[in-house]
Amino acid sequence: MAAAQNGDADAYRHVLGEASAWLRRYFQRRLPPSMVDDAVQDTLLAVHEKRHTFDPAQGFAPWIAAIARYKWIDRLRAMRRVDMTSLDDELPVMDHENAVTAAHALERLLTLLKPAQAEVIRLVKLQGFSIEEAARRTGQSAALVKVNIHRGLGRLSDVVMRGADVD
Amino acid sequence: MSTDPLIGRLTAELQPVRRQSPRRAALILAVLCVTEIIVLLSLGWMRPDMPRAMGMPSFWWKTASLTVIMMIGATTTLRSLNPIRSPRPGLRALGYVVLAALAAGWMIDAAQVGPIVLWRRLDPVHGLRCARKIIELSLPVALALGVLVRRGASVDPRGTAWAAGSAAAAWGALAFVMACPFDDPLYVAVWYSLGCGVVSLVTRLALPLLTRW
Repeated sequence: MAAAQNGDADAYRHVLGEASAWLRRYFQRRLPPSMVDDAVQDTLLAVHEKRHTFDPAQGFAPWIAAIARYKWIDRLRAMRRVDMTSLDDELPVMDHENAVTAAHALERLLTLLKPAQAEVIRLVKLQGFSIEEAARRTGQSAALVKVNIHRGLGRLSDVVMRGADVD
Repeated sequence: MSTDPLIGRLTAELQPVRRQSPRRAALILAVLCVTEIIVLLSLGWMRPDMPRAMGMPSFWWKTASLTVIMMIGATTTLRSLNPIRSPRPGLRALGYVVLAALAAGWMIDAAQVGPIVLWRRLDPVHGLRCARKIIELSLPVALALGVLVRRGASVDPRGTAWAAGSAAAAWGALAFVMACPFDDPLYVAVWYSLGCGVVSLVTRLALPLLTRW
């Protein structure tokens, strides 16, 4: 990366390739599969845009890990604003390992929330139920479901920001 | 989805960059502060009784407190422009310094003798003017810090914004100390806190929106 800061294109291509593979593994363990590609690309763009902040004395790994974590928190916040639609019952899938790991990681984070918040996030954001369905299942009003999702995801972002990780 | 096309594009766009340097950024801020002081002095901003004021504990209390707050806030801001540095330890230190400064002000105030009516001591008409001037004087440093933060890569934009706001506010108040004829610790604690609080809060709200990356 230090060479890339001086304009060495070959070194830059190499470091971005390595970073891309690492970021893919990083986000596969933390995000739903549908968000991984966007997160990797977004982080690579951030690496490019902020490459002048890299300090060779401090090493590349902590630097890119800090940027990846920032982008992960960004994605968690974005989940608050995105309506997820339910999926068909039968979808062809190739490999469940990363999805299971990501779901496990999110489950661990959800234990840090109030039960009412965790339950509606699990139903709407992870299992794909609509707001109305989640309201019927939990006995909460639709408005309260939305509030609990919003506050719960906000709390998750804050928890991650303050240092909790899922490794 | 492959990232190869993106990597190819980013590699093609690659230009040499000048590495971020906290020392260079600190130097820019220092030059700006010195320039602002020179401009204020050339406009005749110095209080006429400065020699007398310099003999009062409350003058040194506010000068020292604001200097420490400004230094910690600016250092915290500049350090946090590196993604691996968090502004949180600096913000905690800032909180302790503010509390210590207020406690010191209270002790200096308690040493004063003579009953004075609270409302008269607060003097809201002048107090609000002081707060407004502190806000105005903090603007150049707030803008400079905003530019530096935008160029940096803080991974805690809210924390960095608090630190930047505190530094800018403390600088505005420190510059105003030269002109402010009021030395009553109660007056300083209330109206300086108001001016600094407004600057910090506005910076905290605006900066994260302007420096998203």
